[in-house]
Amino acid sequence: MQPLAGAAGYDKGISIFSPDGRLFQVEYAREAVKRGTTSLGVKSSEGVVLVVDKRPTSTLVEPQSIEKIFQVDDHIGAATSGLVADARALIEKARLESQINKITYNEPIAVEILAKKICDMKQMYTQHGGVRPFGSALIIGGVNDNGSRLFETDPSGALIEYKATAIGAGRAIAMEVFEKNYAEDITLADAIELALDAIYEATEGKTTNESVEIAVIEEKTHSYRKLSDDEMSEHVEELLIRKSKEDEIEEE
Amino acid sequence: MKLNNITPDSVLSDQKKLSNCEETKKECKLVVLQSIGYPFLCNLVESPKIEIFDKELFELYAQDQWDGFTANEGSFLFDQKLLPDFAFKIIKAHPENSRITKNTNILLMELPEVREIKRVESKILMEDVIGQERAKTKCKIIMKYLQDPEIFGEWAPRNVLFHGFPGTGKTMLAKSLSSELKIPLFMVKATTLIGEHVGDGARQIHDLFEMAASCAPSVIFIDEIDAIGLDRRYQSLRGDVSEVVNALLTEMDGISPNLGVVTIGATNNPPLLDQALRSRFEEEIEFTLPDESERLSILELYSVSLPLEVDVDLKKLAAITRGMSGRDIKDRILKIALHKAFSCDDDVLTWKHIEYALKHHEKDKKEPKEMYA
Repeated sequence: MQPLAGAAGYDKGISIFSPDGRLFQVEYAREAVKRGTTSLGVKSSEGVVLVVDKRPTSTLVEPQSIEKIFQVDDHIGAATSGLVADARALIEKARLESQINKITYNEPIAVEILAKKICDMKQMYTQHGGVRPFGSALIIGGVNDNGSRLFETDPSGALIEYKATAIGAGRAIAMEVFEKNYAEDITLADAIELALDAIYEATEGKTTNESVEIAVIEEKTHSYRKLSDDEMSEHVEELLIRKSKEDEIEEE
Repeated sequence: MKLNNITPDSVLSDQKKLSNCEETKKECKLVVLQSIGYPFLCNLVESPKIEIFDKELFELYAQDQWDGFTANEGSFLFDQKLLPDFAFKIIKAHPENSRITKNTNILLMELPEVREIKRVESKILMEDVIGQERAKTKCKIIMKYLQDPEIFGEWAPRNVLFHGFPGTGKTMLAKSLSSELKIPLFMVKATTLIGEHVGDGARQIHDLFEMAASCAPSVIFIDEIDAIGLDRRYQSLRGDVSEVVNALLTEMDGISPNLGVVTIGATNNPPLLDQALRSRFEEEIEFTLPDESERLSILELYSVSLPLEVDVDLKKLAAITRGMSGRDIKDRILKIALHKAFSCDDDVLTWKHIEYALKHHEKDKKEPKEMYA
């Protein structure tokens, strides 16, 4: 990213507004999110799908050690992008909050409540001196009694609910795919397909079954489940065949 | 001892002849002079700028000291009084080879200071700029406008801003415009417009636009426009920001209509620009980093001009140079690889050399990728 030249020193402190009302450090934190690989979430009529792209930086890296999708509670998962360490701290907080809720109220935490708790924490780190904002965004997806919910939280602590959303380097491209192809009553299988399509476009076609990770939270079971390697390679292969066919048609 | 018209030598080094030697010459009616300067420069003397305060007085002054001199077009006269040895060139003498007398009309031509703006001779064509379709379309419109300014009327293209990552072809496109256009293109680096003293900047900007307007239709291309179009908030950093920006603002869309002058600004830091200045640009065109197919075209374009035979899978190279600009590909990959091949005395540029350059490039970036996922 090019340095925000208009900052003129107003980016030196996190708790200082620029004369036109901007918080540069928070904007820089959003840039940290863009440095991460693409993560996305799609809401379907049967549940929520989380898909991440995780290309290892070296061939020596054990792929499973790169974690980008986390289980927060039985019925909630989160996909992250940006600073790995910050994301883990946030997930820790999210897990804790959902357990606190369970113990206090004897019921699973609502997805919206959890997302708001996370955002409260993120917001605190934009208003105090001596701290820095979190350099990661979270896509929080889950299932409640009243259906599937999907939230995106950004480093400022802003919270928006989406039908389908993406964070990280390929956000713009993925959002374009979603905007074109998303339908309200999409099935879970179609949602996975759509999400993989978006990942494929966002990574300029560099998708393999080792580079993606998929998790689903189904309304039927109210539970989070990471797809097994077999299931995943099935989906990815399907995607690659579909894409190569599309390419052929285009060439013709 | 100084040689002047009292010296009895009949012939002087600068071809001026003395009156008493050639009485037969005709009387000169008109001499037009142009101030040139001292025969040499040294740090003790600054070449002064001559301005005529009173034409009649100057005429008297000149007649008095050059009375009897021969006026030849193209020869020089040296001032002997106020600025000893300051040279004036005779650009017009009527009649030729005549004698200056007390009746000769002597004029000093007041030339506007000619600042050299080089017409860039470039062989870059618009096709050589890969991608950047929006900018190219705009350039084509500008070309069309300049060929036939009438049809656009008040909807003419006026000011365009090119911005985007370094090395994406902003300047290159402007150069191609200069080689494809048959009209004058003023290519200025904004830094040269700043000048040495406070006040120079504004004056030079006015001069530039005046000159462009005088030979309209024309194009002004200001490279690195952030050097002069700095946000006025930075007044504290540089004292003349406000005046320079104001000059630019009035010129670009102000009191003077500047018809037929298209201004193109280029910067890789648009947020630095003054808001009012930015609003003067009807279109801000972003130059994007090339995608894979564009990178392939760039590679194909440059590999042809490489002095060595190329045995490299360009498609593969295009795929792994993601995020690089056209300049990166040319200078940091192909050039380094070529130099490596030269240093190894290889006749063919192979993947081995490319790998060396890529490794180099990776090292330069030093991005802690592990931190982000």
